[in-house]
Amino acid sequence: MQQFLDTLNAALPLEGYLVVGAVMFAIGAWGALIRRNAVVVFMCIELMINAVNLSLVAFADYLPNAGGAGVGYAVLVIAVAAAEVAVGLAIALAVYRSRKTVNVDEINLMKG
Amino acid sequence: MTNSVFGQLLMAAIPGLPALVFLLLALFGRYVKEGAQFVAIFGVATSLVFSVFALGFVTGFPASLFPTGGVPIDFAVNWIDLGPGGSFQMGIYIDGLAAVMLVVVCFVSLMVQLYSGAFMEGDSRFAWYYAILNLFTASMLGLVVAPNFIELYIFWELVGLCSYLLIGHWFEKPSAAKAAQKAFIVTRVGDAALFIGIIMFWSATGTTSYEGISEAAQAGFVGGSLFTAAVVLVFIGAIGKSAQFPLHVWLPDAMEGPTPVSALIHAATMVAAGVYLVARTYDIFVQSPAAMLVVAYIGGFTALMAATMALTKKDMKRVIAYSTVSQLGYMMMALGIGAYSAGIFHLYNHAFFKALLFLGAGSIIYAMNSYNIFDMGGLRRRMPLTFWTMVIAGVSLSGIFPLSGFWSKDAIVVSAFAEGYYVLFGMALLTVFLTAFYIFRAIFVAFMGEPRTEAAREAVESPGIMTGPMVLLAILAVVSGLVGTPLGDFFAEVVAPSEFATGALAIEPHEFNVTMAVISVAVALAGIGLAYALYVPKPERATALARRFSPIYTFLDNGWYFDTLYDRIFVRPAMFFGRLVRQFDRRALGGLVMGVGRGASGAGERLRPLQGGGAQNYALFILVSVLILGVIVGAQYAFLTIALIATVAIAAVAVGSRL
Repeated sequence: MQQFLDTLNAALPLEGYLVVGAVMFAIGAWGALIRRNAVVVFMCIELMINAVNLSLVAFADYLPNAGGAGVGYAVLVIAVAAAEVAVGLAIALAVYRSRKTVNVDEINLMKG
Repeated sequence: MTNSVFGQLLMAAIPGLPALVFLLLALFGRYVKEGAQFVAIFGVATSLVFSVFALGFVTGFPASLFPTGGVPIDFAVNWIDLGPGGSFQMGIYIDGLAAVMLVVVCFVSLMVQLYSGAFMEGDSRFAWYYAILNLFTASMLGLVVAPNFIELYIFWELVGLCSYLLIGHWFEKPSAAKAAQKAFIVTRVGDAALFIGIIMFWSATGTTSYEGISEAAQAGFVGGSLFTAAVVLVFIGAIGKSAQFPLHVWLPDAMEGPTPVSALIHAATMVAAGVYLVARTYDIFVQSPAAMLVVAYIGGFTALMAATMALTKKDMKRVIAYSTVSQLGYMMMALGIGAYSAGIFHLYNHAFFKALLFLGAGSIIYAMNSYNIFDMGGLRRRMPLTFWTMVIAGVSLSGIFPLSGFWSKDAIVVSAFAEGYYVLFGMALLTVFLTAFYIFRAIFVAFMGEPRTEAAREAVESPGIMTGPMVLLAILAVVSGLVGTPLGDFFAEVVAPSEFATGALAIEPHEFNVTMAVISVAVALAGIGLAYALYVPKPERATALARRFSPIYTFLDNGWYFDTLYDRIFVRPAMFFGRLVRQFDRRALGGLVMGVGRGASGAGERLRPLQGGGAQNYALFILVSVLILGVIVGAQYAFLTIALIATVAIAAVAVGSRL
């Protein structure tokens, strides 16, 4: 029991954070690639961004020589992500107004 | 004269003026149009005056005008200096032979250009025609005055080029384009041989001047089989240009050109070049008895062969064309047996009556637009001037006393007999008979009897600008021989072989032989008589005879099947090879290039669906690519595993869901 508690209280190894980050990223990527609803795709992208953020923060904490640069970087990414969501949702709205749909399969104007 | 700048300029102007006219007409021809003829005639007339002046100087006659005359004009400048290797020179050498040629070329060219003004009226490339005519004249004049092989070769090729352009003047007609190519390619065979000969001489003696080579050979620097080979190669060049057997096939086809051009080619500028080359390099030729024999027998054989070919031709111009081949054979034969003056004398006389024959034929063609003598008939009354000038030319060609042709032809026949070449003598005499027959056959069929077609019935005499030159030439066809009669042979004095050649060949002057003259005239008259008997009173006789001997008739009519033979031996294999190369080009090289192009475009076509426009697809590609890159860069093991799992999972899910 005590051993179990020790294990729980012990500092989490870096790999733990990274695995969680990777799984989050994979789920996000998976969703971004296969979901048809543009809003859900945006949400999935947020998930990927946050997976990356998690990794950045974990590295910042575990790598002493990094000097906490990863944290600052994570803040920057959050700011950019907010901006990106604002723009992206505006686009989604514009597309919806013109085509009455947010299904990404029907939006293929970039065809070569 | 040769030392003064003025004199040198004057001599250089002889070929220079027509060349200048060519430049002017080539550049500004489209503006002057029909006015081109006046520029051209002015140029060549001036050249004629200068040529006469040159002739006067080198003969020293009249002595009061040319006190320092009587010697050849000879000067040269270095053209390409090879340092210790010697140099190639450009110069002018005019002796009696060259001066006579200059006058003949300029005169015939002048007549032809006067005549062409009417004949070519309304031609779409009138000025261009005159430009090339002048370049032709200039090249021939340059060839005549050249003192060395290199300069000669340059003009030699220019002559060939001009003949190509002129024969193919009406290149819209496929037969004309083909004839031009044939002329160019066949003479090219000779030109290549000539060039090899020149190189052989140059490598053996280190000089290209005629005099230098002759002296080197006399001193024994070059001799034996190498020398003979080089001489024969030079002679092959002459064969090509002078349309001798076996390279004679181009000349009859050259009739596709405008008729005045034929007159020029046959009388002065092109075919005379070969004979002139042999005469010019006579000092070299006489040093190889073998080569001289080749010259004599090729000439004699050609004379006879071409005369037989002319017997059956229905095309007026072709009869005259074969006649030229035959007459050139005479000249070659004369040179080969050592009758130097007689050969050149024949060249000189031949120029006038042959030019006249062609201009006469052109006059008929101008009047009725047909070459076939059996379309004509009865033209004697419609075109009296053409008829009489043609008769004079025909009589002169046949060698009837006392017209010009008689003097030179008789001199050749006599020399052949006196020098002991009895085979050649027999051939020459037979040729005299055939010549008289075929030319009068053509004249009788065309001018006597009743008109056979509507065009012949309505033919009218050509305008004065055409008949004028014909009359002038007719006068010369009568009197030009008088400068070389036994009573006073001025010609042989002006155009004499060098002392060296005389000594080498042991040439003796042949006395005028009355018996021989009577024989040759009688033979010629017999030919004319036979032509009359066959074609005038009862033309059916000739047809019956032709049917009776139809294999021979066909054989002759097809020109001894030379064209067929060459077609089989050279043309078809060449064409086959050409097709092979074309196939290789099309299949292998073209296929390669096209294949690369088609491959790229095909690959693009295949990859096009990837660019479907869906943002998610693009994202997938980016993701997959980044992962692959990650694998390649190969980070840590764990990362690699995670990436692989993620890739496989995402790809499987994504692709599966897509499909």
